[in-house]
Amino acid sequence: MAETMRQTVATILKSIERYNPANLQTLERYVEMQSRENTYDLEANLAVLKLYQFNPENFNPDITCQILLKALTNFPHTDFTLCKCLLLESVVENETISQIKYLADILEQCDFAQFWNRVHQMPELCNRISSFHDSIRKFVCHVVGITFQTIDKSNLANLLGGIDDVSLKHWVKKYGWKDEGNLIFIATQDENIKTKNITEKIEFEHLAPLMAIL
Amino acid sequence: MYSSDDYNEGGYESYGDYEPHTGDPQYDLEYDRSYYQMPEMVKKFLVYFRNMITEGMTFEILNLYENTFPKLTEQYFENTPWPDEKEVAPVVDSDHVFMILYKELYFRDIYARVPGGPKPEQRFLSFYNYCDLFNYILSAETPVPLELPDQWLWELIDEFVYQFQSFAQYRSRTSKLSQAEIEALNSENKAWDVLCILNVLHSLVDKSNIKKQLEVYAAGGDPDSVAGEFGRHSLYKMLGYFSLVGLLRLHSLLGDYYQAIKVLENIELHKKSQYSHVPACQISTSYYVGFAYMMMRRYADAIRTLSSALLYMQRTKQLFSSRSYQNDQINKQTEQMYHLLAICLVLHPQCVDESIQQVLREKNYHEKMFKMQYGDLGEFESCFTFACPKFLSPCPPPIEPGSNYGRDAVKHQTQVFMDELDFYIDNDMIHIADTKVAHRYGDFFIRKLLKFEELNRKLHHIKI
Repeated sequence: MAETMRQTVATILKSIERYNPANLQTLERYVEMQSRENTYDLEANLAVLKLYQFNPENFNPDITCQILLKALTNFPHTDFTLCKCLLLESVVENETISQIKYLADILEQCDFAQFWNRVHQMPELCNRISSFHDSIRKFVCHVVGITFQTIDKSNLANLLGGIDDVSLKHWVKKYGWKDEGNLIFIATQDENIKTKNITEKIEFEHLAPLMAIL
Repeated sequence: MYSSDDYNEGGYESYGDYEPHTGDPQYDLEYDRSYYQMPEMVKKFLVYFRNMITEGMTFEILNLYENTFPKLTEQYFENTPWPDEKEVAPVVDSDHVFMILYKELYFRDIYARVPGGPKPEQRFLSFYNYCDLFNYILSAETPVPLELPDQWLWELIDEFVYQFQSFAQYRSRTSKLSQAEIEALNSENKAWDVLCILNVLHSLVDKSNIKKQLEVYAAGGDPDSVAGEFGRHSLYKMLGYFSLVGLLRLHSLLGDYYQAIKVLENIELHKKSQYSHVPACQISTSYYVGFAYMMMRRYADAIRTLSSALLYMQRTKQLFSSRSYQNDQINKQTEQMYHLLAICLVLHPQCVDESIQQVLREKNYHEKMFKMQYGDLGEFESCFTFACPKFLSPCPPPIEPGSNYGRDAVKHQTQVFMDELDFYIDNDMIHIADTKVAHRYGDFFIRKLLKFEELNRKLHHIKI
């Protein structure tokens, strides 16, 4: 069922049909399916926003919110920015949409404490996206992984949205980190953070067009 | 037999007795109506032009298109448009295809030269003329017997998108429109609809199988093997290719950077290929790709795209056609690309080719970059607004006097871009500051070291 849906949408997106407002319903249902089943299709979602852009009378704030929240779950990719560029100037004023935009801002600034704080204040919105919290946690783990050598256990639990010990163990295990009592050992960052030597490499391929001109 | 040499070897002189227009519009109008006679030279040109097109002599067509047409414009139509279609039709036996092509040039000339731009009716007529042209090309059962130089095909697509953009902007300047203009605009709601434009470009892409062709070409195969009946013809193939670039531009104007980049998959920007010989097309492609990458925050990609295009332009400057209006366009786009590059390099410091660096050190870029490095948001904004394309609102509201929605699109995209900056400057300060400081100190350190070394050597030479 989900697969047929995906196929149908893929066919729509391949042709000029992507601009046909008659397909909006199918595409919107596809967005809801993504929210429900924890799948993700950026291109289809952008096509929905594009249809809203061309047909403002069909604008659906609820679907738009789901698309934006789904874009959050794909951090650190810039999906959210891409979606934002397609929003009509007028809908940016929408209250819920500005809240989600704020979420994106603080998430990007890695102000995770503040982010979870906000998320907990709007459960009905975020809970509609299945596995929303875990997707964000993946991003948190990504940031922690490139930032910390060791991290305080309670700090990590907080960054992950105040999770309990069992869940914390799960995440630590998943990323291959080591539990060292009060501290979690992440990785030896020494090896990654080195002065980079940027040397200029000139390959024949780069010179060839130049020689052709000269 | 008439040959093109007549133009080049003093052919104009013999028509010196042709009475030029007075410059007084009222008088000229009456003059046009009652006494207008097409100069013999122009008549000959039209006949010859049509013959060359019928015979498919692309090289000669290019010459007539690129050199003779502007020359005659200067000579006979400095203050007026080219003759109306009613006057031209009898001269060329009302040749259907030639008339469409003639009108394309006729309207393009009006867009480019008539002060105040074309009137609403002219915009509509030009649109319907494009419809005629694309219908002729797209609805044929077998490829149409028409061959045009690639330069013309590129400018045709580019102009089509440009006129759409121009219409959207014209329509949005509601406060400046007269009542009659507003009525004209409201009565005609099909012309220059964004869906029509998308439809034409997509159809040209599909008809030519250009995407498949490029895919096979990129893999080292023979594009003709997948081109199909239409795509093998130069006309369809190149229109398909240029339509991809047209779509890139259109998507960018609408803020859809994902589609903008996606449409170009399988095109290798920096490689010479059988598709890359129209410089203006290359430059335009690089500009929009670079811009879209920047908006997607793929700064490294943006820098690579922009700097290699700028390098290409530095090295091939003398090759560009000397037609001045095209040069203006290219110069403007070059300057915009330097601005984009400056923004990207501030956000993502890295080395670029020395000759590009040279330009950035000179002129006023240096000061602008310096200001941006210190987090001057106003400077970011002014560089961005200078360098960005003129964004469009795809869905104009019905026109009411006084509203001004056109600027909103630009404001919106600028806002999205400025939102981006906050983060980089305020919150990710360590990252940027670090790279910059290290860079400066490194330079500084080496210079001092060299000085020190020199001093040391001098000291050795001093004999006490």
